[in-house]
Amino acid sequence: MTLDLSISRRGALGLAGGAAATLAMPGIVRAAGVDLVVHYSMPAIFKDAQEAIAAAFNARQSAIRVSYVNPTPTYEDGAQLILRQAATGQLPDVSFQGLNRLRLFAERGIALDLRGLLKDEGDPARLGYSAPLLGLGFHGGSQAGLAFATSNPISYYNADLLKRVGADPEAFPKTWDDAIALSAKIAGLGDGINGMFFRWPGDDWMFSALLYGYGGRMLTTDEKAVAFNGPEGLAALKLLDRMVKEGRMPNLAASASSTQDLQAFAAGKLGMMFRTTAQVRAISQSVGANFTLRTTVMPVIDPVKGRLPTGGAGAMITAKDPNRQRAAWEFVKFATSAEGTSLMVKNTGYVPTNQIAIDNPEYLGDFYKQNPLFVAATKQVPLMIPWYAFPGQNSVRVTQVMVDQLARIAEQKATPEAVLADMATEVTKLIPTP
Amino acid sequence: MAEAATIAQTRAAPARRHAGETAVAWLLAAPATLAYVAMILVPSLALVVLAFTDYELGAPGFRWVGLGNFTELMADRGFLRSVANTALYVLFVAPVSVALGLAIALLIEGGRRGRALFRALFFLPVVSLTVAMATAWSYILHPTIGPLNALLRAVGIDGANWLGDSGTVLLSLGLIGIWENAGFNLVLFLAGLTAIPRDLYAAAEMDGVKSAWDRFVTVTWPMLGPTTLFVVIITTVRAIRVFDTVATLTQGGPNKASEVILFTMYTEGFSFFRMGYSAAITLLFLVAVTVLMLVQNRLIDRRVHYG
Repeated sequence: MTLDLSISRRGALGLAGGAAATLAMPGIVRAAGVDLVVHYSMPAIFKDAQEAIAAAFNARQSAIRVSYVNPTPTYEDGAQLILRQAATGQLPDVSFQGLNRLRLFAERGIALDLRGLLKDEGDPARLGYSAPLLGLGFHGGSQAGLAFATSNPISYYNADLLKRVGADPEAFPKTWDDAIALSAKIAGLGDGINGMFFRWPGDDWMFSALLYGYGGRMLTTDEKAVAFNGPEGLAALKLLDRMVKEGRMPNLAASASSTQDLQAFAAGKLGMMFRTTAQVRAISQSVGANFTLRTTVMPVIDPVKGRLPTGGAGAMITAKDPNRQRAAWEFVKFATSAEGTSLMVKNTGYVPTNQIAIDNPEYLGDFYKQNPLFVAATKQVPLMIPWYAFPGQNSVRVTQVMVDQLARIAEQKATPEAVLADMATEVTKLIPTP
Repeated sequence: MAEAATIAQTRAAPARRHAGETAVAWLLAAPATLAYVAMILVPSLALVVLAFTDYELGAPGFRWVGLGNFTELMADRGFLRSVANTALYVLFVAPVSVALGLAIALLIEGGRRGRALFRALFFLPVVSLTVAMATAWSYILHPTIGPLNALLRAVGIDGANWLGDSGTVLLSLGLIGIWENAGFNLVLFLAGLTAIPRDLYAAAEMDGVKSAWDRFVTVTWPMLGPTTLFVVIITTVRAIRVFDTVATLTQGGPNKASEVILFTMYTEGFSFFRMGYSAAITLLFLVAVTVLMLVQNRLIDRRVHYG
């Protein structure tokens, strides 16, 4: 956390002075004298970023004061809190939630549809909201929120282990065939060393990385039937199967909270890990000086159709009063502006969510020069599509069904064909019937 | 004091005194009664109501679904698996940790040196925070870098993937459960042992009881009856309630192999937000636990000798 503190302070100071993009705040006059209450989760990751953004926002205008309620430890706790508060009428004005949960709030009428407010701003591209970035918060016909901090899956590797098997750390495998072959080689070193771990447990995110990699999708476009049970889904499961069979991938405790893969990696006993870029900071801290840690882009599956899922947090407006909604919009706009997103990146290492900050090296060029481990994720920005949020009341439950089915492959208890068929049957039962 | 004085003054009028005493009794019991009603009775009744609805956390309203949640439960692979897993877990953890607690208590009681040390050592798991210990367990049981498998490798055995293999995960969690519960039972048994009058042993020796086993069978075991009843019930309850190790180590995985009732209840309610469904699980759980406790109490109580 300490490495960029000076940079972010400088950034915060710079903000007060310049940057015309968000200085035009027509809503402020109408929304004068509002104390805005904001909620976010995962203070371990976001506290510094949120406080820098609130400080910058409060410093540049006096009509709206932003203050935070106690942050919740995880996205799940955060979702519970807002759902409970919706029932008791104690909602904050703005809440930062996991991107795949925005839909749940939109369907329950808790998250304000931002299309009206966006329309008043004119061309969204002028504010740095490109169509793909807006798409990250657009679910089931509603602009439920705006992406605030995004992540995508990247490759982490132990350069020392690669050298030990004669592989060049500068030329990390570009395809899964090569990655799996390399994994087998590293596993051949023995002494409890494994080649790779693909972080499939926890939720459906990493499975969708494989599915999207083949150009597949979870449900049909009308969301009435499963679509992952086609050739792309089968290819994705077969790839996972090959990682276990040929890449000798161990089955490291199948749970979201399990840290066995991180433990093995930090101990220098795991060659490669494929998981979210959000962990870069934590992993580089736990690795320390044990070995040379490197990161790079994911091996490519389909260079044309292939995409990657987007994780992270989005900002949604939960205020009901129009005056507060406008004030909340000013803050959300600032938090996702080029300046806001730069503060977020410098304090977290997540991927920026404003096209202006992505395109213009003035904002983050220096940061990435000094923190090369964060670069891998930014190279994949053009590939990022939304982390699919299932419709209906079983939205979250579906993801558990998928993980349970993937476990059968990780344990080599069923073939990819059998797993795909069962997965399709179970998910079909859980999506709303038309 | 004031009340005592009032009671003393009204001794002459029994009817009024009785009324006054009743009032005082209610007054004294009021805080506990109110707390019980507000914190336990009302929420429990709300739970019963919720169990017959499709209420979701954050939803604007709910529909009555009658027995819908219960019929869904009966066909829910995950729930049935979690009932079976919980039963297996209890059948393994409860008897072993009771027996182990008793055995260690007897050894410590019979030993001459280091009693305090051993008592403290075996009690440590009870006072340590499970969530914090989970990280340690996850490392110890790690398939490749874990000390346990390293130890096994040293003697030429290929260790299992303790928490990652659906065949061993419940066993591993059970062993952790025993580690946690045995120390607790040990302390209860130690307390029970010190309460046995010494002269009973002397009397038994006079009557020709010579071996340690005979002393145990004729004096210790019958005298420990009330303690054992308590320990058995409390251990069963603690085992049925297993949650933290599952939540922190396996989250019910892989593929529901370590799914237990309380964890299912938690995920349905707080991860999947299906409050009605979760309430139905809780209701079944409450009924099952109550019945189990009543049966256990009746069965064992008949054989207990209250000295």
